[in-house]
Amino acid sequence: MSVEKRSVTRFELLMDAGFGAQKAGDILLQAFVGMGKYIYVEPMIPAEISPPARTRPALSGVIIRLADFDITNIGNDTDFILASHEMVLDTRLDDKEYNSNCRILLDMGDREANPDSYEMVLKRCTNEGLSVIPFDVDPPSQVLVKELGGKGQNLYYLGMLSYIYNMDEEIVKREIQKTFGKKLNEEIYAKNITLFHNGYQLAKEKVFFTYQVESALRQGEKILIDGNTALSMGIIDAGIKFFSGYPITPASSIMHTLARVFASYGGMVHQAEDEIAAIGTAIGSYYGGVPAVTCTSGPGLSLKQEFIGYAQVAEIPIIVIDAQRSGPSTGMPTKTEQSDLPAVIFGSHGDYTKIVISVANVIDCFYAPHIARYLAEKLRLPVFIMSDFQTANSYKVITKPQVVEMNNVDDIPDFILERFHMDRLPKEIEMVHTSQSVPGTEAGMCRVTGLNTDAKGHVNYYSGTNQRSHRVRNEKVHHVRRALVKPEMFGSDSGDLLVVGWGSTRGAVEEAVSLCKKEGIKAAGMHLRIVYPLPLILKDIFAKYKKIVTVEVAYGDALKASPLAMLLRCETLFDVQPMIAEATGRPIRPKIIVNRVKETLSCQLSLKT
Amino acid sequence: MSVVLKDLNTENPRWCVGCGDFGIIMGLKRFIVDRQLQPAATVNVSGIGCSGRAPNYFNTYGVHAIHGRPITVALGLALTRPDLNVFVHSGDGDALSIGGNHLMHGINKNFKCVFLLYDNELYALTKNQTSPTTRKDHVTNTQPQGSFLQPINPLTVALGLGGSFVASTADWIPDHLTATMKAAFDHPGFAFVHISQRCPHFDPENFDHKTSTWFSFLKHDKGIAPDKRIAPKTEVVAHDPSDLVAAFKYAFAQRRYFGLFYQNTAKPRYDRILRDLVAKAEQKPRSKILDHYLI
Repeated sequence: MSVEKRSVTRFELLMDAGFGAQKAGDILLQAFVGMGKYIYVEPMIPAEISPPARTRPALSGVIIRLADFDITNIGNDTDFILASHEMVLDTRLDDKEYNSNCRILLDMGDREANPDSYEMVLKRCTNEGLSVIPFDVDPPSQVLVKELGGKGQNLYYLGMLSYIYNMDEEIVKREIQKTFGKKLNEEIYAKNITLFHNGYQLAKEKVFFTYQVESALRQGEKILIDGNTALSMGIIDAGIKFFSGYPITPASSIMHTLARVFASYGGMVHQAEDEIAAIGTAIGSYYGGVPAVTCTSGPGLSLKQEFIGYAQVAEIPIIVIDAQRSGPSTGMPTKTEQSDLPAVIFGSHGDYTKIVISVANVIDCFYAPHIARYLAEKLRLPVFIMSDFQTANSYKVITKPQVVEMNNVDDIPDFILERFHMDRLPKEIEMVHTSQSVPGTEAGMCRVTGLNTDAKGHVNYYSGTNQRSHRVRNEKVHHVRRALVKPEMFGSDSGDLLVVGWGSTRGAVEEAVSLCKKEGIKAAGMHLRIVYPLPLILKDIFAKYKKIVTVEVAYGDALKASPLAMLLRCETLFDVQPMIAEATGRPIRPKIIVNRVKETLSCQLSLKT
Repeated sequence: MSVVLKDLNTENPRWCVGCGDFGIIMGLKRFIVDRQLQPAATVNVSGIGCSGRAPNYFNTYGVHAIHGRPITVALGLALTRPDLNVFVHSGDGDALSIGGNHLMHGINKNFKCVFLLYDNELYALTKNQTSPTTRKDHVTNTQPQGSFLQPINPLTVALGLGGSFVASTADWIPDHLTATMKAAFDHPGFAFVHISQRCPHFDPENFDHKTSTWFSFLKHDKGIAPDKRIAPKTEVVAHDPSDLVAAFKYAFAQRRYFGLFYQNTAKPRYDRILRDLVAKAEQKPRSKILDHYLI
């Protein structure tokens, strides 16, 4: 028996959808947090509810990165996998995210019925140098699982994991009680607890290793929260009072959360008949002076575009959250990607004047609604908050953010502006319509329209008037350009290579830069929180590096720049290359960035010599 | 300060001479004056098309939105600003074609607004194309062989969707038009008002506004009074607006009927339901919103 001490380690629980892998994951993360560990959790969720068991699309699992220090991303490789059968294991191995000495506990329960398949996967593991430890669920537990109609297996695995990660049984049981106590009747609950104990015992008898991650001392109040929940709470704190949406993965959980709690904070949740109606109703609310937000993902974003263009011209503020998923079209609904950037910036016909904010982590999620509302109301333009599947669903322990209870946008605290690397906007900002009040107000009564208008709001097709409208709208965006200061940087102020990223790649870039530093590689990192417009200072910063590259979860190649690379090129005229532009649906890992940095730099070197 | 008709005017409407839309906005302006609705508390919401221009010609608040979607914007206002008077102006293409989904859900949600369907039975602003209500065999630019299909009947659609207020009137019967607006405004819910509207430019023969033998009025104590001037020259039938079966009968008829087809004041309202949810929820301080997630 060996207890292996780790500062940071990563493991996975892989099961068929519908058998409680996500619930087991929830209990585990709560228990780890209760024991003082730092965690970063990424669920792997199928796009269907219950795909046929033992098929590739059925994989449902959870990746947990565990550390004794604060971690910002899901990390590099998996050290340990617990798989409910050979098919889920085979599916997941394709992603090649395991360590060379990764251990695998494989449930052999299905072997009798599928001997060839098991043999094939076991052979694959041997070929790839992975050590598989086969096990069978003990016979009494098999009977129990059968009695529970196949459910309860997750509790058995939870028991095994509790032993393997040296977890306090009582803490885990407390979390099980919290999760299932009210939902299950006594008898079924008792059976689940028995399964948990039996799993724990089995691991104790059969598994010869355990992992020990020290508990960290935490300063100050901490919370455990996922991206979409943090966004929901941010919406409340930012003083937004109206939410409308249409069900779409991975944005829906924002609507679920608000549907439960928003009314207690004076907010209304409207489930619209379609994506277009969702934004139309939000625009109606904001026109009436009630701050509103709508949230969506790729396909819904495409549908909302006409209204987004309309809001620019009608000068009605609107906030749109785009929780990106893999596209184009329906794509991979439960996989992460960052390909919506061009659609968000350039989408909707005609000229584009909007502001695009991105979130990199749960703290950003909490404060993004504040800054979005500030910009939307000061500029009367559409403001986007771009998240993605990974940020939306990842859980993290963070220091409790300061609640600001914003009412008037002018009261936005400096620290939020600083977080998004911008100064306060000028007090006076010219509008296309010189006088536009909210209904109910005598002064400033007006009509809004998507047609071009003069300063008084009258429909007007004269060339000069239209050019004026364009100038005024674009000047609003320029105000933001000028207010943007130096974005967040990692590493040295100059060097051989600058890696630029946005959104959910932040943690991986930050960690990669520090790994590079340890190896003496002169690579720095930049993270953009406001993605459109870009700060004017960008050119000056780029000039200090020999090469500028991007890291993006979006497609790009030698002939076609990925979205961020394209944007940076046209805004700075620097030859920005996509260093990693992959739309695999998986988050980018720090190790991969470091490897590519080395390749890029050695390639440059060989070109010189 | 009392509101007079000229207070409600803005610029000269950019509609064709003889367009039925003039009559419709005049009918609404007359109602606003009769009821002394405050212009600052009144919002006209529209989509795209000739009818879509209407809000620009009212000196009130107004949202000239995008094609087919005025109901969605009106709902946002009705939910969050119950203090406002919300009128929706939509055409047959706007409401029954591109915006069909919103009409279906607007009627079902039964939120408080007056919905005016300007039905000229073709697309006019885009220059004479077949619309969902164009009569079969009528020649248009998109179906020059004569329109292919039987038209959609807006009244049976509204009744079939469970409309709580379904009325019909015409742009050239001003008193009846204003009386219909009044009944619609007083209805607690989504008031669907179908308005037969002339388009002298593209379809001058469609509605013979000089004769009255081709239409009838529906009459009832709880309904809308038939037009005093025209009623003696045509048929007036008694119809109880609480009788849904009879309402369908008149709506399906070949002959046109003007008046109140159906009204149900007891139908639940979505806007009230959402507001009640907020009003009845235990109010919590925002300062503690993150405490639930403390570890």
